[in-house]
Amino acid sequence: MSNVLEVTGLSITFATPRGNLRAVNDATITLEQGESIGVVGESGSGKTVLSRAIMGLLPGTATRTGSIKYMGNEISELPEKELRELWGTGMAMIFQDPMTTLNPVRRIGTQLTESLTVRLKLSKKEAHEQAIELLRRVRIADPEGMMRKFPYQLSGGMRQRIMIAIAVSCKPELLFADEPTTALDVTVQAQVLELLSELRKEFNMAMILVTHDLGVVAGHTDKIAVMYAGDVVEMAPTRELFNNMKMPYTEALLKSIPRLDTPTGTRLPVIEGRLPDPTKNEPGCPFADRCPYVADKCRAEKPPLKDTGNGHLYRCWFPIGGEK
Amino acid sequence: MFKKFMKKPIGFKLASLWLFAVVFVSVTYDLFPYVQWDAISDFSQGDGPFKVPGHILGTSYDGMDMFTATMHGARMSTFVAVTSVFIGGGIGSLLGISAAYYRGTYDKVMSSIFNMILAIPNLVMSLALISVLANGNSNQPASDFRRVLVLTISLTIVIIPILGRIARASTLQWSSREFVLASKSIGTKNFEIIKRHIVPNVAPAILAIGFFAIGVVMIAEGSLSILGIGIPGGASWGSLLAIGRANLEYSPHEVYIPVACIGLTVISTNYFGDYIRANLDKRESKI
Repeated sequence: MSNVLEVTGLSITFATPRGNLRAVNDATITLEQGESIGVVGESGSGKTVLSRAIMGLLPGTATRTGSIKYMGNEISELPEKELRELWGTGMAMIFQDPMTTLNPVRRIGTQLTESLTVRLKLSKKEAHEQAIELLRRVRIADPEGMMRKFPYQLSGGMRQRIMIAIAVSCKPELLFADEPTTALDVTVQAQVLELLSELRKEFNMAMILVTHDLGVVAGHTDKIAVMYAGDVVEMAPTRELFNNMKMPYTEALLKSIPRLDTPTGTRLPVIEGRLPDPTKNEPGCPFADRCPYVADKCRAEKPPLKDTGNGHLYRCWFPIGGEK
Repeated sequence: MFKKFMKKPIGFKLASLWLFAVVFVSVTYDLFPYVQWDAISDFSQGDGPFKVPGHILGTSYDGMDMFTATMHGARMSTFVAVTSVFIGGGIGSLLGISAAYYRGTYDKVMSSIFNMILAIPNLVMSLALISVLANGNSNQPASDFRRVLVLTISLTIVIIPILGRIARASTLQWSSREFVLASKSIGTKNFEIIKRHIVPNVAPAILAIGFFAIGVVMIAEGSLSILGIGIPGGASWGSLLAIGRANLEYSPHEVYIPVACIGLTVISTNYFGDYIRANLDKRESKI
């Protein structure tokens, strides 16, 4: 299979009044056709910036180095005009908050047919039919009625489905889902994720699912990249990661998910401390201050990304379960 | 439609009736067999309203029929106000929206130009423009057409930065919304984004301020006429006012009638603008 996306050594820095803020350090991700990767990390770990940087949607204050190849073509240096050709038909994005990603004064129908008429140059009638079909695909009960509604008449889950329908309307090869379920109810979350997985298989899309919830990515991705303070600290196929995690940070993340089998009244384990200041470039492992297994070496030197050989990468001096 | 209209608040009803009447008179003025508006009556000079048959609003000190003159004044005043707000608002919105959307140097240049124009008092600028562009020599004053044209242009220039800044501020607020980014991320061109996502959201604010601006321009036109550089010969409300001012002690209705017309129109446009803003924003506030 061919690689849809190859990101090598991508770093993103924002110029801020307090100095340069390093949002993403040296990220390397490859994605095959139809493959999905979950990018997991806490707030401020750089996961949203990473996905927007790949797509080329960052504001002008950001500088980026490294290479981004889409379908074998280098796209990191392309001007916006040429990138626009890729957006929609090649790459599309679902955003975090469906409450703000729909235009409040325009009907669902006009927003849904926008990409069809503008990008695919369909006639109004064809676009309308396609839009109805899309609405059926995302399991909207009354597609004809939905076309005439305004966003304020819809619930969050409905809106996110509309956003998904808009994102997949031009059948992109690569879909970015930037925390697609964060703003939704837990009951709706599962439905939306299920829908995304289904559409991904149907259209054979590659997907980058960005989330802070390991539980969300567990059932819906082929591999997982864990990010911490701008670094990809562990990357492995999903099953391998859960069975054989190497990074203490991944372990801590997993532990902080509430479980049903613990007795009532058990305190939820949290990761103490905060993310290091991204404007300072201190030596050592960025997780050292919060790591339960910290040793002197961790504070002195930043661990390199090690490869166990079976696609499992991690960035730690003293991985859980020892080195192989 | 009529039933819907009857349910509106009384202020809205009065304002829209008055504005409708003004527009109707302005448009259809030529169709009615009035006497020439500036014709001088043989038997009545300076009589008040309802005193002389045939002159329902009385006559001016010189014998001009006030009713016909007011009708004709409505046409001229509305024409000047609506034209300058329409053109100035169009140019201002275009510049304001594009400045806020594209940002950068273009935005800085645009904002500075707006600020520079706003720093000059309206009346002073109109006065300067008219005295430079519409001056004749002592024997032959500039033609009426030219004076009206220059007056309209100068008022247009006054309106451009007012609406331009409103459009810019409103666009700044909307263009940072996620749905603009979302639309961009499916490959919509900037022009399409402006057309589809920015303009429909910015329109209520511009429309509301546009209505206020019509009132502002009408008052400005009146002020310029009183200063003696507006539309000459009683052709507009402001001009009637300027003539009537000289005869205030003999025929005060000559002042009251145009003042009432200007006042009612300004109040109506203000009310209309308010109403539009309050009602078109509903969808957003429901979220």
